[in-house]
Formats: sequence, structure tokens, C-alpha cells
Amino acid sequence: MLFFENKGTFNQHMTKMPLSNRSSTKYVNMAACVSENDSDKKLEFFLKVPFPSEREAAIALQSLSPDPEPRKGGITKNLDVTGHTLSVRWTADEARILRVSVSSFLDHLSLVMETLDAFGPPVSQ
Amino acid sequence: MPVVIGFEGSANKIGVGIIRDGEVLSNPRRTYITPPGQGFLPGETAKHHRGVILTVLQEALDEAGLKAADIDCVAYTKGPGMGAPLVTVAIVARTVAQLWGKPLLGVNHCIGHIEMGRLITNAQNPTVLYVSGGNTQVIAYSERRYRIFGETIDIAVGNCLDRLARVIKISNDPSPGYNIEQMAKKGNKYIELPYTVKGMDVSFSGILSYIEDAAHKLLSTGQCTPEDLCFSLQETLFAMLVEITERAMAHCGSQEVLIVGGVGCNLRLQEMMGVMCKERGARLFATDERFCIDNGVMIAQAGWEMFRSGHVTELSDSWITQRYRTDEVEVTWRD
Repeated sequence: MLFFENKGTFNQHMTKMPLSNRSSTKYVNMAACVSENDSDKKLEFFLKVPFPSEREAAIALQSLSPDPEPRKGGITKNLDVTGHTLSVRWTADEARILRVSVSSFLDHLSLVMETLDAFGPPVSQ
Repeated sequence: MPVVIGFEGSANKIGVGIIRDGEVLSNPRRTYITPPGQGFLPGETAKHHRGVILTVLQEALDEAGLKAADIDCVAYTKGPGMGAPLVTVAIVARTVAQLWGKPLLGVNHCIGHIEMGRLITNAQNPTVLYVSGGNTQVIAYSERRYRIFGETIDIAVGNCLDRLARVIKISNDPSPGYNIEQMAKKGNKYIELPYTVKGMDVSFSGILSYIEDAAHKLLSTGQCTPEDLCFSLQETLFAMLVEITERAMAHCGSQEVLIVGGVGCNLRLQEMMGVMCKERGARLFATDERFCIDNGVMIAQAGWEMFRSGHVTELSDSWITQRYRTDEVEVTWRD
């Protein structure tokens, strides 16, 4: 049973099969039940933003993470900092939802960076 | 002597103010003004605020003659208000709080108005009428809470006025309410409108529908002028507000009224409230447009009170919220 060993390949293969064929429809449904989550069906977007220092990356994270997404469903956003870099990962059900969230985030990110420029550098702790 | 900086941007005004022990050191502000016939939308308003907030922040520091190191606490509007503009302002507040190494304080916008009104007028324990484009509440302080005695059950009184302004396409500069007030002075025909006081509360959406409809009919047939509509609407709305304020005063045995919020600038409202107060032997307090209309220093002042009584907002708790009831905050700085 190939699909248990290599799910990715199986799904890729399945999307090419015509769904009008009754037996293949059954396989697509089985694949949906078998897969652990629907992440293969979601859109993903990654963003990496370098900052001049670890401290500034951490500040950006704290400024950008508290507010929840305005739209409750259909999108998730995860922020993380490693060293000097802020990374953001989105998953979304639909492209338009993704576009709105990423677009807003980039506006907010620009604002943080302008604020860091105008009122930085951070005071020593 | 803590020095507090306050950031406000929950609607179309963006303001940054600095206060030290009850002294206003600076209070610059910008207003996003839309063309006649148009209201302001969240995304565009947030964009406006993003474009000017850092400039206004620098102005606040320069006018106060202070540097970042002189600030002790950063206050900002946590809510209520429009989502996108609130986020924009909160982001800057969080960033500078971290840059400067100062504590952050999320303030309730309504309480900002109340605390500024109390500071400026020195009213001791007034019945507060908070009236603006976004809010209409009658509030009285009791046992550590600003309790809502009466409020609108649908739209705010300022919203009703602003939407009439849109229908008759008058300028939004400096604000639609101001222009309605000027036009109302020239109106002389009183058009009867629904009067919808519901016990302690008020309702405005029905009056709005009625007057929007009436405006089209009466203006096109020349039966009245736009000035008459402005005059009639003000008289009706303000009489309703005076009624619910008086009702709350009677319940509390209060001898002071404080009007706050943008609609509080309206001199006709102040006049009508003054008549009622005089009849009851009560005193009326109001502020001018610097403090009635949304501004940064009112947030700083409420922040100052909260900071002194030990409140602080952790960054992870600093999320903004569009709904934030006035009575949700524990008023620990008053007895």
C-alpha cells in the first residue's frame, strides 16, 4: 500500500486522477481521512526579516505578536526569532485571506522598522 | 513625579500627549478628514495614522522639551475603537516602550476622557455624559468602577450627526459635528423627529433612518433647508441626552455634570444641559476642543493615575480590543 509509506507522493499522484471516476473518488476520500491534518491542502507563506541586532529582532517580535488576527478562521500566523532574524509563517485556506494578512503584517513591520530607526537604538538593559 | 506619554488613535484622530503631575506638557494631534459625503474606513484610517504617528511623537517630545529618557511610562489606547487604527498605534507604543526600557500601560479610551475631564475641570464626583462619534454613555463612579447608568442601544449620537452630515454632503473639516453646529444656528424651522428615550437608555438609529428619508423628501421639495434639518436633529438628540443625564443624577443624588467626548464641544448641548443643571441647582463642567476631542494627553493622564496605583500591562497582554466596556476596569486610584 504505497500511500502509507509515502504520503506526499501519493497525494501528488491523486490530484492528477479524474474525480469523475468513482473508484478514484473513493481513494481521494480515503487519503483525506488517512492524512493527519490538511496541511497539504493549505497555502503556506514564509517570511524572514533580518535585524541589525538580536535585541531589535526581539523588540519587533514583542511589538508584532500580541494582537490576534482580525479574522478568526482560515488563517494562522506564527512568529519566531532566531538570533538577528524574525521569521513568520502563515498557513491559510484561501489566497485572498493570505494576501490580506501578509499585506497588513508588512505594513506593521515597516512601521516597527521606521520606529526603530527614528527612536532607536535600544537603551542598554 | 512620573512623566507619562500617551498614544491615542482609536478613530480618525491620532494624538500623542505628555503629562507630568497634572500638567499638560504637550498634546499634538492630527485628524484624518475625508471628502464630504464620506465616512472614514478602518484600513484608510490606519494608513493615515501610520503616515504621521512618528512625526506627532517627535512633536510631542519637542514641545514638551523632553528626551526619551525623561519619560517614565508609555500609555496607549487598548480599546475600544476601530481595530486597524488601534493596532497601528499600539505597535508604536510597544516599540518605544521597549526601546526606552519603560513600562507599558493599556488604557480604556472612555476612562481617558473621564480622567482628563476630571483633571481639567476639577469636578469632584460628577455624573458623566460621554458623547462622541463612537460612544454614548452616562457614567457615574461607584465603589471602584465607572458604572454605566445609561447608554445608546444602537449607534452613538455623534455617529447619527456625522451620518446626517454625509447625507447633506457638508464638509468634514474640521469635523462634521462642528459644521452641523454652525448650520444649526441658522436653522429656524423645527421638523418633528422621533424621540426615542428608553428608560435610562437612548436609541438613535431610528431617528437617523427617519431624518435621512425626510432629508431627501423635504430638501427636494424645498420644504426646509439643510440648516433646519441640522437644527431639528440637534434639538431632538440633545434633549434626549439631557433627559437621561438628569435621570442618572436623580438616581445618584448628584449635583455635578461633566460632559466629555467630541460631541461635548457642542455649545448648544452645553447650553441645554446648563438649563437643566440650573433647574436642579447642579453645576455643569465641560472642556474645550483640545480635550473633548480624542487626544493623546487624556490617555497619558489615565495612564498616570493607573501607573501611580500600580498597574502595568505586560507586552503579551497588550493586545488591542474593539470592545472594552467602561466598567471592566477596576478604578484602583479612587476611593
